[in-house]
This record gives sequence, C-alpha cells and structure tokens, in this order.
Amino acid sequence: MNLVGCSVVENREIAPGNFLLTLKVPRGFARPEPGQFVHLRVSPESEPLLRRPYSLEGFVERGKIRAVRIYYSVVGRGSRVLASQPKGQELDLIGPLGVGFTPRPRRTSVLVAGGRGVAPLLFFARKLREKKRPFLFLFGARSSRELYGVREIRGGRIHLATDDGSVGYHGSVLDLLKRQWESGEHTPLTAEIFTCGPHGLLHEVAEFAAGRGIRCEASLEGPMACAVGACRGCPVPLLPGAGGNGGRYPAMCIEGPVMDATIVDWERLP
Amino acid sequence: MTHASPSLRVRVGSLTLRNPVLVASGIIGYGQEYERLVDLSQIGGIVTKTVTRHARAGNPPPRVVETAAGMLNSIGIENPGLEGFLEIKVPVLRELPCAVIVSVEGEDVQEFCDLVEGVSGSGVAHAIEVNISCPNVGPHGLRYSTDADMAREVMSAIRPLTQLPLIAKLTPNVTRIADIAAACEACGADAVSLVNTFVGMAVDSRTRKPILGTVVGGLSGPAIKPLALAKVWEVVQAVDVPVIGMGGITHPRDAIEFLLVGSTAVQVGTALFSNPELAEACVKEIESYARRAEVPSVADLIGALDVPAERGMIRAGRTLAPR
Repeated sequence: MNLVGCSVVENREIAPGNFLLTLKVPRGFARPEPGQFVHLRVSPESEPLLRRPYSLEGFVERGKIRAVRIYYSVVGRGSRVLASQPKGQELDLIGPLGVGFTPRPRRTSVLVAGGRGVAPLLFFARKLREKKRPFLFLFGARSSRELYGVREIRGGRIHLATDDGSVGYHGSVLDLLKRQWESGEHTPLTAEIFTCGPHGLLHEVAEFAAGRGIRCEASLEGPMACAVGACRGCPVPLLPGAGGNGGRYPAMCIEGPVMDATIVDWERLP
Repeated sequence: MTHASPSLRVRVGSLTLRNPVLVASGIIGYGQEYERLVDLSQIGGIVTKTVTRHARAGNPPPRVVETAAGMLNSIGIENPGLEGFLEIKVPVLRELPCAVIVSVEGEDVQEFCDLVEGVSGSGVAHAIEVNISCPNVGPHGLRYSTDADMAREVMSAIRPLTQLPLIAKLTPNVTRIADIAAACEACGADAVSLVNTFVGMAVDSRTRKPILGTVVGGLSGPAIKPLALAKVWEVVQAVDVPVIGMGGITHPRDAIEFLLVGSTAVQVGTALFSNPELAEACVKEIESYARRAEVPSVADLIGALDVPAERGMIRAGRTLAPR
C-alpha cells in the first residue's frame, strides 16, 4: 500500500449515471488482488474533504504502463465530482487496500453480482480464467442497459437476470442463484459463493448460503475516513455467535472489504 | 539579516519537540497504521488513539459522515484498554521515530489514575494527553471538561502520579473554555490542547433518520477552523502554560494561523485522511514562514498576531510572545 499520483486516462459514461474510470498509476504501484480497493481523492481541491473508497474493476498492464479501472455510479457528492474529472486530470490514491476474494482450491466459484457490484467480480472472473478455475457468473441488474461488462466475461458460464425482463431471467439474481443450486449440480463441498451488490441483496445471498452451509464471501461497501485501520470509522457489525453484540467490530477497510458473509449482522450494517 | 535555518524546537513542559507539528489523537492510530504514508521522522510527534481503562468495542455504525467542509464522527474510543495497550501497542510505539504522546480517558477519577500510572510506567510516553473532552462515550464523556470543578478533581488526582508532562485536552462545547483551561493549569497541567470536536448532528430527510448510529457526534475538519482559532485565542489569554492548538487544519498555512494566535504547537487531524503528507507539509511551511519572517526561532511566531492593543485583552504582566 502506498500513496501514489495517478492521472485520468478515461472517464466515460457507459450507461446513464454509470462511469468507467481508468487511472494510470506509477510502476511502483503493487499489483492488486480482485476485491481490493483504492482510496481515491476525487478532486485536487479540498472539497469533498474525504477520499472515496472504490473497488477495482480491473488492473491493466501494457508494457510499462499500469492502470487501475473503477466502475462507479453517480450517487452523491464524491462520485459527482469524480464524474466531472477530465482526461489528463492528476489525482492521487492510496492502495491497493484491504482483503480481496479468497477462493478455496478445487471448488467452483459462483459469482453473484447485483448492479454496479459487478465491478470487483469482473476482475475476479478474469483472474479465475487466468488460473483456469471453473466459475459460474450470475449477474442481475435493473435492465439490460446496466449489464456492464457481461460481454467481456470469458471462461465461465453466465446467467443474467433483469428486474424489467429486458434480457435474461425476469426477476432477481437471488432467484437465479436458488434455481442454479436446486439443479443439484453444486454442493457446499464443490462450490462457494462470492457476491457484491446492494447490501440488501448480499444479506439475502448470505442467508441462502448460511442456510445450506455454503461458504460465502461478500464485498461490502461503506464510507471510510482513513481506510488503513487507524480511525475505526468503518465498523462491520457481526452476528452474536461471531463476536457480535457490539463485542467486536472489524474495520471494513483492513479486515474487509471482502468478508465471510455468513458472520455479518446485515440488519445492523447500514 | 536572514536566518539560514530557524530553530523549530518548542517546549511543552519538560518535553522538547523537534518541531511544533503533531498528529491529533484518533487520526493515526498508534503510528504503525500510517507508517507507509507519513514520515514520522519529519514531524514533532503523534498523539495516540485514546486508551481507556477497559477495552472498548466502540459505537455502532455508521460512525462517520462527511458534512459541508467537515466530518462528523462517533467512533466511541474503540481501543484495546490499558492492558491491551501495554501488551500490544507499547512495543510498536517504542519504535516510532518521533515523540509519543499517549491519550487517556477514564470513566471516573480512579480510572484516570490507573491509566496515568500504567502509561507512565510503560516508559513509552513522552507526555500524556488527558482526554477529558470526548463527546462520543456516553454520559460521562463531556463531564470532566464542561465543569471546572470536575476538571480540577481529575487533574489534581493524577498530577502526583507522574513526572511526565500532562496535557489537558479541552472541549469547545462550553460557555467559557478559558475557565476550564485555567482550572487545569492551577491543578498542575503542563499544557492544554484544544479543540476537541464540536457536538454536531446530521439528518437524512429522506429516511427521517439521524445519519450517525449515536444520533449526535463530533464535528471536525475545515468547517471548525474559525471556531477553533477563537477558542485558542480565548485560552492563550487565560493561561501561562503552552497551548496546543488544533481544529480544521487543512492547508499548511492554517498551522501558521494557530501559531500566530498563540499555540506553541499544533495538531493536524481530519484533513490528514485526505492528505497524509499534510503534517510534513506543515513543518515545511512553518520553517519557510519563519525564514521569510527573519526570525531565529519558531518561538518568535507564537502569539505574534498583530492585534490592536484595545482588542488584545492581554493580561497584565504577561506578553504573548515569545514564550
């Protein structure tokens, strides 16, 4: 982890309100793992005050050039400012940070993505393909317009779901997951789940996994101040059996953002 | 005449800091968390995350929210407690290449005493910051620094227990902060530091809910700098001990403002999250400002604010600079 300067190579609106940002980073920037994030200063000005944490959609190495890719939606002040940054803009970031996805050997990875939560899972799917490991990619979004990146996925089976039925299964990605599981192809010994998306979806996926004894990791999202474990501003509430009841709050920034989804107290996670 | 390299050393009680820039409590953990981002050998020192008598898990989320030019927090002093501190954090702090000021907070006078004895005995602290001003730790949180009698009670009890400089950290959430500062000074504080955060609140009108898990929290960041400067200005006129100023330092020149108003040292806080190089930049700015001002020592800048005499309210028999 380091503080490095970076510059905007591309900051493109690929669907209404959704942007793909490519930032050139120096060669000294450590190669990130899927699920890790960067803490980005979204403007050279002092507003907004805090950095914003973004999971990486990818890491590009071409010759001597290194770049990180971020897929983000405009949801608030920070992302609005970020969306206005033109090509060539100099910014800086701290990273790579946090704990990424940790697949177990000889298991099929079932990736469950909701909306822009697809970002770290696209990175993860590329890595799985490189390692020639089997995976299944389940991707749900509101409509076909938000199914970013799906055409780039190689090396695994893909199933899509949309809320409006514009493509794929008409319904939620959770239903897709249930149908896949009910086909009997996978068992807790042969497959594990990796999920990212709105916390409501992650909660449902976690309950599904916990109820069937399936190992399940989720990539969480939330505001952070320092992002290096110092300020304790990003606590993750845990279930009572897992040291919850306020007994211990892991910091999302250093013990996450990818965590065992079945120990998170989703009811108390904002 | 120009001075090639002005002296940046300042004294806080028996502690000499190589320069007047510290990182505030709650910002940098115990130093190690930021070791790859902040060059601690370039700054005066750090103030640790506050240590309490017993381990604390901290407050429920959300604990931080950004507001206009500021940040509200309600961390709730998540820390490993005195025993955990001595076992886990002291070995880490021993390796740091800067002064280490350990922040402590007790729920009652006895806990303050245990903490001061424990921290003092560890040998790792160059000074102790007595946090009598956290707004985020339940009913006792602000008790000791909103009431001069209670501040006196704590300071008098801990003073005999250590040779280390004691720095009383004050809350701005009072009517007359100068009274509390004077009470701490009278009971043996070697310095006072201010301001802790201002009590604040953020509301989500869409959900009709408060944003912080504890409803109210403490406001920091550039929004509070003018408020903090005024509190420091009030206190420097009420006490003779050094004042350590903080609150919203975001640009290196902000540190100069706190010195001019009368701070002997400054603490950098929230803005360090965004700019980890801020503390080092403050040191450079102070050095370059002293050079431009052609003063031999940063001490000549402390309290060097050019105020019309009738506005100065300087107490009889006392000059503001140099200390």
